[in-house]
Amino acid sequence: MLWQAWDDVYIVYQPSSAETHVFNETTALILKCLEDGPLSADKVKGQTEAALGVGPGELAKEDFAFATMRLEELGLIESLDETLAIQ
Amino acid sequence: MIVGDLSRRELGERLAGDGLALQFGPFNLRIRSNLDSFSGLAHRLYEPYPLPDAEAISDFHVQISAPRGLRRWARRQACFGVDGQFPFAPYAVEHAFPALEWGINWCVATRAHHLLLLHSAGVERDGQAILFPASPGDGKSTLCTALVHSGWRLLSDEFGLVRPEDGMLLPLPRLIPLKNESIEVIRKFRPEAVIGPSFLETRKGTVAHVRPPLDSIRRAQEPARPRWFVFPRWVPNAPLTFEPLPKSQAFLMVATNAFNYEVLDGTAFRLVSDMVRFCDSYSLIYSDLDEAVNTLDELSQAGDG
Repeated sequence: MLWQAWDDVYIVYQPSSAETHVFNETTALILKCLEDGPLSADKVKGQTEAALGVGPGELAKEDFAFATMRLEELGLIESLDETLAIQ
Repeated sequence: MIVGDLSRRELGERLAGDGLALQFGPFNLRIRSNLDSFSGLAHRLYEPYPLPDAEAISDFHVQISAPRGLRRWARRQACFGVDGQFPFAPYAVEHAFPALEWGINWCVATRAHHLLLLHSAGVERDGQAILFPASPGDGKSTLCTALVHSGWRLLSDEFGLVRPEDGMLLPLPRLIPLKNESIEVIRKFRPEAVIGPSFLETRKGTVAHVRPPLDSIRRAQEPARPRWFVFPRWVPNAPLTFEPLPKSQAFLMVATNAFNYEVLDGTAFRLVSDMVRFCDSYSLIYSDLDEAVNTLDELSQAGDG
């Protein structure tokens, strides 16, 4: 994937679909966490919180779930049992 | 050699024979036509455009001709063709000239995928270019025409041709088709502008073509570096507003406005990202051309410092 960050907006180019996506910081950071390989959902959430500079558990579960669902819908990530991975 | 070096008769013979080879910026065209009315107007409006070298390969073989068969007797029509195909319904023969001009734009927009094609006017001064990405009706051609008659060089009124190798803009200083009220606006703004006849009731309303200043045509092989994106919108009686745009918004407006962003894949993403990173972006709402030109002059002068 190709990335371009401006302010708190991330623009991501997805070669597999030739689509360009616009993400907020939370969604983009979730995706970035998974660039090096699959991680459990809890670890992704924890790393995202750290990257956002908020404390453990401060990222609302609903917000995290919504962002991962959106990424999955776009075909950018997939759920592997208990883990998340970039497709 | 330029078109003006040919007599009207020589031009007509070329158009009716093997075709008139013509160079428009990075493209070589071969134009054929058996219509006398087209030949006369082409001689006048294409007069300063260069003819390519004899051995140059034509990128597009286009024609604007009377249809064959019974149709030619039923109604006087003109058909636009490219490489032997006729992609559009016939036009009234009176609209042959604008039909060919639109057809050439269509060829560029659908075939020149070795370049990133932004739907944008562009002008240059002192080596720095402004791109005006806009939708039809936003006034980009009118503004562009005013600027190129106020000291700016025309790159194109329709295409931002971005060379992938270095991100430079390639000029395509073709005739500028003004529509409806814009024709009279420019006649008043610059009475000395060379404007062809008005074609009434075309598929886009009344259309008249402005010939770019000679300097723009002569420097058609001189690329320019993009420096600003200005997203114009003409709003009747509106006070001028000129405001910076966030880069993320500019990126989306440029990318969604390109003719072939999807075709060029990651190359387009990289090119648009690089351009938006380097360029300052603004939205411009205007109703008065003098005010708009002054604002862009000031922008250019500030950019020099």
